Amino acid sequence: MNALAELVRTPPRPHIRRDELRGAMSPPGGRPVEDRSERLILAVATHCDRDAYAALFLHFAPRLKAYLARSGSAPETAEELAQETMLTVWHKAPLFDPARAGAATWIFAIARNLRIDLARRSRLPLPEPDPSDEVAASPPADVIVAGVQRARRLRQALAALPPEQAEVVRLSFFDDRPHADIERALGIPLGTVKSRLRLAIARLRTSMVSDE
Amino acid sequence: MIRSHPADTTLFACAAGTLPAPHATVVAAHLAYCSRCRGIIETGEAVAGEFLEAAEPKPLSDGALQRALARLDQPHAEPPRPAATLAGLTQGGRWYWLGPGIRLMPLARRDATQTRLDLIRIAPGVAVPSHGHKSFESTCVLQGGFADQTGEYHEGDVAEGDAPLEHAPRALPGGDCICLIATTGRLKAHGWVARLLQPLIDV
Repeated sequence: MNALAELVRTPPRPHIRRDELRGAMSPPGGRPVEDRSERLILAVATHCDRDAYAALFLHFAPRLKAYLARSGSAPETAEELAQETMLTVWHKAPLFDPARAGAATWIFAIARNLRIDLARRSRLPLPEPDPSDEVAASPPADVIVAGVQRARRLRQALAALPPEQAEVVRLSFFDDRPHADIERALGIPLGTVKSRLRLAIARLRTSMVSDE
Repeated sequence: MIRSHPADTTLFACAAGTLPAPHATVVAAHLAYCSRCRGIIETGEAVAGEFLEAAEPKPLSDGALQRALARLDQPHAEPPRPAATLAGLTQGGRWYWLGPGIRLMPLARRDATQTRLDLIRIAPGVAVPSHGHKSFESTCVLQGGFADQTGEYHEGDVAEGDAPLEHAPRALPGGDCICLIATTGRLKAHGWVARLLQPLIDV
């Protein structure tokens, strides 16, 4: 059982064990060959490849449904949003740039923005990557490989976070309340929440830029 | 040069999509000025990507893939999305007179989190009447600058306030100061002059 998946599914708990996040380090059965998703999106972008799209859909739509349900959407809304997200993936595939973000990260951001739009039906979503940054040609293989390595380093850094830092990271993502409420959820002062998160972010960012 | 940034907690909540939308718009306005914070948002999104990849798949309803494939050929129009810049935000909006030297352009009504979004425009040297906060407020300066007891803020800077902050921000000399402000909960007014802020107090 993938421990990180367990985290995503279960309600917030006051404490998190280090080994729960470390589970993300060893690829579980569900994780595809590391750069598979990126290549599928590029196939959709360059040849409108429907088989590649179907494969992406079968991998991501059920995870999106789980993620969205976990962060507060009703099951039918979660599935509808997963469908909308994947439809947007089809149309925006030419904007996908593996040098900037991995497949899961890019697809997450699309789902997040759709969810925010739905929640407020307003005209001011978060900005998405600038379309002027559009990738002209298929990126060379080493760009994809570099992205995959970056994702792997991030996964390792996440798993290696001290438990108290992992906890505030998790609460940032799964507590759908104003951020200061983390203070109340954990019973620690806001200054401590902020300093723990600052330390966690510093480690995570370092993992994303370093070339080991 | 940007001197004042959103807290890391705000940036990560924004990346995660758990920050109330009006506060996320304030962050978006700041990101146009700040590569440091864009980097933190990207880190947060990458963490979210890991959480998504690790999510235990939830079975879809029958025929979900067929429905998805059937929709691919339908025309797809994205609604235009104005940028979180002064020009984009003021598009089609209207300034309301609140008091001498103070105007307000409401952008979004209170949402489920009791957060609203406004632009406020203050003439040089004018102070907003002193008021207190019961909850989180975030502000991004889009033009000019202002000062309160927590410091001086210029274009692109973000000021975050929370209970028990009490302040009377004053626009710096020069041109009008225009700020994008997301306010969660009601403000606490002090004295009759604070009734100018009625729209933000909603009594």
